[in-house]
Amino acid sequence: MIELHNVSKIFGDALAVDEISFSVPKGKFCALVGTSGCGKSTTLRMINRLTEHSSGDIILDGQAVGAYNPVQLRRRIGYVIQDTGLFPHWNVARNIGTVPRLLKWPASQIRGRVEELMQFLDLPSAEFAHKYPHQLSGGQAQRVGVARALAADPDILLMDEPFGALDPITREKLQSMLAKLQARLHKTVVLVTHDMDEALRLADHLVVMREGKIVQQGSPLALLQKPENGFVDSLLGGLERGLKQASLSRVRAHMTPLGPTLPAQSRIPDTYTLRQALSVMLRDHCERLTVVDKHDVPVGELSLRKLVKEAHAQPGERA
Amino acid sequence: MNSPGVQRLNGAVHPGRWLMPVVWLLLLMLAVWAMPLVEPALRWFSPDARQVIYQRAAFSTLLWRHVLTVGVAAAVTVSVGIAAGIAVTRPWGRDFLPLVSQCAALGQTFPPVAVLALAVPALGFGALPIVVALVLYGLLPIVRNTLAGLQGVDAGVVSAAQGMGMTGRQRLYRVELPLAAPVILAGVRTSITINIATAALGATVGASNLGDPIIAGIVNGNTAYIVQGAVIIALLALSVDSLFDVWQRQLARR
Repeated sequence: MIELHNVSKIFGDALAVDEISFSVPKGKFCALVGTSGCGKSTTLRMINRLTEHSSGDIILDGQAVGAYNPVQLRRRIGYVIQDTGLFPHWNVARNIGTVPRLLKWPASQIRGRVEELMQFLDLPSAEFAHKYPHQLSGGQAQRVGVARALAADPDILLMDEPFGALDPITREKLQSMLAKLQARLHKTVVLVTHDMDEALRLADHLVVMREGKIVQQGSPLALLQKPENGFVDSLLGGLERGLKQASLSRVRAHMTPLGPTLPAQSRIPDTYTLRQALSVMLRDHCERLTVVDKHDVPVGELSLRKLVKEAHAQPGERA
Repeated sequence: MNSPGVQRLNGAVHPGRWLMPVVWLLLLMLAVWAMPLVEPALRWFSPDARQVIYQRAAFSTLLWRHVLTVGVAAAVTVSVGIAAGIAVTRPWGRDFLPLVSQCAALGQTFPPVAVLALAVPALGFGALPIVVALVLYGLLPIVRNTLAGLQGVDAGVVSAAQGMGMTGRQRLYRVELPLAAPVILAGVRTSITINIATAALGATVGASNLGDPIIAGIVNGNTAYIVQGAVIIALLALSVDSLFDVWQRQLARR
C-alpha cells in the first residue's frame, strides 16, 4: 500500500511537484501519465527516496518513508528505469542477482532465484546467463531489468518509463509480458509513462499529471467516459476515445444469447476486446458476429446495433 | 554457474598478448647482464675512452634502485591520486573538485629539475628529493584520469545502483571503480612510464640509479656510458608499458 498526501517537491525555487495525493492499494497497478517534465518521474523517485520530498507525507505500508533507512527501503522496492541501468561489467545472471546479493542470500538460493526469473521472463538460462548487457537487444535488456527488479521478491515495483526506448513491436510484447506477470504476482506497481495506451492497457488506476499537479485520477474507464478537461481528452486521444474505451472491455461481457435467427458467418473468440470485434465487423462488412469459446463452439452473438444502443442507454452504469 | 561460457569469457589471456612484454623484458635482462658482449659496438661511440662499459656499480644494482625509486613514487601517486579523484567526486567532496584538479595540473607544469633544486636544500641529497619530484610530476595523469573515469560512468547505471539499494561504498567498489578502471589504469600507465625516464634526474642529487651512467658520461665526455644508461632506461620503460598494455586489454575485454 502506497499513500501520498499533499506531497510537494521544490528544486531550488522551482516547484516540481505540487501538493499531490493519491494512493495505490496493495496488489494494484497505478500509472502516472503526463507529458515530459510534469513531475511524474520525480514523484516516483520520491517513493524510494532517490529524491527526498519537500513536504507532505509518503506512507508505505502504514509507515512514513522518512522513517525507513533509505538503503533498506530500496532493497525491498523493485526499480526499473528506461535505459535499463544494467551493470555493463556484470553478466545477465549477476545483474539479476544484484539485490539478493546485497541482502546476503546464500549463493545456492540466489542461483535458484535467478534461474527461476530467467525462465519466467523467457530468457533461457543456457543462452543468456553469461551474456553481457551489450550483447542483448533492447527488449532482452529490459526483461533483464525487470527480472533484476523482481529478484528479491519485493511487494512494490516502481517503473520509470520502462518501455519508452523500445520499438513498438517489442514494447507491445513487453507490455503483455508485464500484464501477465502482474496477473500472477499481484505486486503493488507504480508505472511512469507518457504513453496513454500503455497506461490504459496495464493500469487499474490512472493519475494524469501536468506541471506538477494532478489533473485527474481514476480508473481507465472513468477517465475515458468523462475526461476532466481538454488536456486529459487530448492525452486520451480525443476522437479515438470511443475506440480506446472499446479496447478495455471484452466481447464476453457484451454478447447476447444465440437467437432463433441464422448465426452470422463471421466468428470471433469470446476473449477478443470490443475494439477487435468492431474491426472484424468493418473488415467483413457485417453487423453481427458469432462469438465462440476456445473450443470453437458458438456461445453467443454480438450485434452492432445492440452495442450502440447499449452504450446510449446506460452511459452512467459503467462509470 | 560454472559453465564453459564463463571460462571462455574470463579465462586466460591469449598467449600472443604476452609476446611484447616477454621480448622487452628479455632485452632488458640482456642489457643488464650481457653489456660486455657489445663492447666493440660501444667502443664506436667513445673511441678514445679508457673504458667503455660503466663499471662503478653493477647495472643490476642500478636497475633495482631505479625500480625502487619509481615504485615508491608510484605507490604514493597512485594511492594519493586515486583517493583524491574519488574524494572530489563524492557528494561531500565535490566542492574541492576545482582545487584538486588545479593543484594536480600545477604539479605537472612545475619542471622536475626545479623541484629537485628546491627540494635538495630542504630534504638533503639522496633519494628523497627525487621521489618528491616524481610524485608531484606523476600525480596529474592519475588524478585527471580518475576524475574522467568516474565522471564517465553512465549516470543511469549509478542511479540504478542507488535504486537497487547499494550503499555509497558498495556503489563505489562494485560499480563505479570497476567501470572506471580502464581509464584510471591508462593514467597510471602514463604516470609510471613518464616517471621511469624522469627518475634518471635523481643521479644529479646523489640518488644512485640508472641515471648514474648518463650523468657520468656527460661529466666525462663518455658517450658510451650515456648510451648504456639510456638504453636500459628505455628498455625498462618499454617493458613496464607493455605489461600495462596487457593488463589494459584484459580489462577492456570485460
